[in-house]
Amino acid sequence: MSAGAAAAAGQPDLADVLARSDVWRGDTLAQAPLPGVPSGFGELDAELPGAGWPRGGLVELLPERRGIGEMALLMPALARISSAELAWVVCVAPPLPPYAPAWAAAGVSLSRLLVTRAAGGDAAWACARALEADGVGALVAWLPAADASTLRRLQLLAEKSRTLIFLFRPAAAVRESSPAPLRIALAAGRTAGRLSLNLLKRRGGARAAPLELDLARPAPLSSAFHVVAGAAPSAAAARSLSPAAAA
Amino acid sequence: MLWLALRLPLLPLEVFPQRPPPSAVIASERIVACDPSATQGGVCPGMRLADAWALLPGLTVCERSGEREQRQLAALACWSGRFTSEVCLQPPAALLLEISGSLRLFGGLAALCAQVESGCAAQGHAAAIAVAPTPLAALWLAAEKPGSRCLSPAALPAALADLSLAVLDLPPAQAARAAGFGVRSLGELLRLPRAGLARRLGAAAVTTLARGLGEVADPRPRFAFPDTFAEHLELPARVHDAESLLFAARRLLQRCCGWLAARAAGVRELRLEMAHERHERQPASALELHFAAPTRDGERIERVLRERLGRLALTAPVIALRLVAERVEALGGRERGLFGDAAGGEGVAMLVERLQARLGSEAVQGLAALPAHRPECASRLVPPGAGSAVPAAGARPCWLLPQAEPLAEVGGRPQRGGPLELLSGPERIESGWWDEGEAGAVGDVRRDYFVALSPRREWLWIFRSAQGWFLHGLFS
Repeated sequence: MSAGAAAAAGQPDLADVLARSDVWRGDTLAQAPLPGVPSGFGELDAELPGAGWPRGGLVELLPERRGIGEMALLMPALARISSAELAWVVCVAPPLPPYAPAWAAAGVSLSRLLVTRAAGGDAAWACARALEADGVGALVAWLPAADASTLRRLQLLAEKSRTLIFLFRPAAAVRESSPAPLRIALAAGRTAGRLSLNLLKRRGGARAAPLELDLARPAPLSSAFHVVAGAAPSAAAARSLSPAAAA
Repeated sequence: MLWLALRLPLLPLEVFPQRPPPSAVIASERIVACDPSATQGGVCPGMRLADAWALLPGLTVCERSGEREQRQLAALACWSGRFTSEVCLQPPAALLLEISGSLRLFGGLAALCAQVESGCAAQGHAAAIAVAPTPLAALWLAAEKPGSRCLSPAALPAALADLSLAVLDLPPAQAARAAGFGVRSLGELLRLPRAGLARRLGAAAVTTLARGLGEVADPRPRFAFPDTFAEHLELPARVHDAESLLFAARRLLQRCCGWLAARAAGVRELRLEMAHERHERQPASALELHFAAPTRDGERIERVLRERLGRLALTAPVIALRLVAERVEALGGRERGLFGDAAGGEGVAMLVERLQARLGSEAVQGLAALPAHRPECASRLVPPGAGSAVPAAGARPCWLLPQAEPLAEVGGRPQRGGPLELLSGPERIESGWWDEGEAGAVGDVRRDYFVALSPRREWLWIFRSAQGWFLHGLFS
């Protein structure tokens, strides 16, 4: 049956099916319905459908532990959303109190940042309300105890919104199934200042090797601040910085 | 001018919410108003009480309360502020709304009348509505031909022609005289010469007729909207669970929103008080609602109220509600962005209110970076949207621990899962002598901060003070 006859018979054309955002060929990335948010890392953008963090779907991040640079990976996108797009960034149930000077230095506009403390089921509820509100550009949530049905509900809400959603879950959740269209396991890179991203799931062909990114890391100080009279309390520390002590 | 008359034929009955059917209201031993089930039993207004009881022995009777009716009429005038700020009370049981300026806003006359009717039903009143260019004509039409709409003074005589003389409310002697010379409707009265009418029925009747036709001005005092809103609502039954209070509270909310619209104001704080029965010896419970910005959006207030009521445990059944708005702030109309909506300030304000209603106001906050040297003092939680930033000196971590964690020291090097590698530093922070010893203050600190890397590749912010090494933050 020709394509025209199929369309006349009320069946969708194959080209139309292939143009849908949730259908892709095994060897290429899917077409994203909304343009992605540039992540600030070119190598990563090349590997993501939509050439950036995808909107309108969960982005599930599974870091092996805290402090390896998982926030530095998101900061360029959050800064872009809050400063360039003038939308709000909502943090739900962060594990520690966020430290304002660092967020401001990363470029996030603090006047459009909302920090919500919530426990258990309230955290997922707060995420759902944030997805329903307009004016929220990005949502960063820590849901260590979320079950599959909660994630599925959030994914359905996310498909209706244009919000960028980062969901942090413990590394143990790698083995569980998840409705999120993009899942990335994060691990410390081989050298300091690098982060290794293992793309567990994306709308497109699988990627075997993990991706290594160079993160923006705190630069060495150019000069000492607050010079005061008196003995330094950390002579030992100063010694330990010297190569002789390190050897 | 275009006047909408709102007559409430059953108002004497409707001010008694806790009446079991069949019921009626009496004044001086005669029935004034009765509910449908009493009407089916053959009771009608004007009947003597003894006759009514003979027909329906189970009839519940309340003595008419003029004070309650006046209060209810004023409450309804507050509610009608949503449609126009030009409202006149027409005791005993009617309101007049001047609506010529509201037609476009509400999408035309038909849509406006439909909204008035449905809103009136939601307030629990049966209403008869009519529209006419003069207040008296609107009242007359609402009394005898509810639903009629006459838009121009020229069409008034035709519209009023088939009304009975009863609408003029003539004294009995003059009414008998008018019937005596064979006049039964207003149309027949209007055909007679006015000078003769004035001699026979008195000048007052002719003046009333001229006012109804718009030939003579009919100035009326406007209803003065009160300065503070405090409305009381008796519930028809004792309510045991907080969720079902929402339905009753919605009535009060609509009145409050109408009052706010007429005053072009919004509220940031509302208080809902719930009265319990006296023998329970419980003081009234109260709910305080707070909003991020002044608002008079009924749906938004209702959403916050629903969250609060959902978390409320009632100690005793509730018999009455009271809604109080004390402080109002000026709030103009809505401004639309030139290109669609502006960047969602409104949406986020509503989000903040909903989250705060459920999680508590201290759980939903913004962040501000302050110009302070001591790291604990440089970051503070502030009300949402009030965050601001000052450029920080040096490298600062993304997360700051609430309490610095002591680290072990082996061979002069701090340990956390192995020896830490110090990457940069020291940054000396020595400050805060002024609040040394104060309760809750950080006090005097002398610290050297370093950026360190643990063997597990965590980036840490650690410091060394006289007490040893401490972990203070995570660069993540």
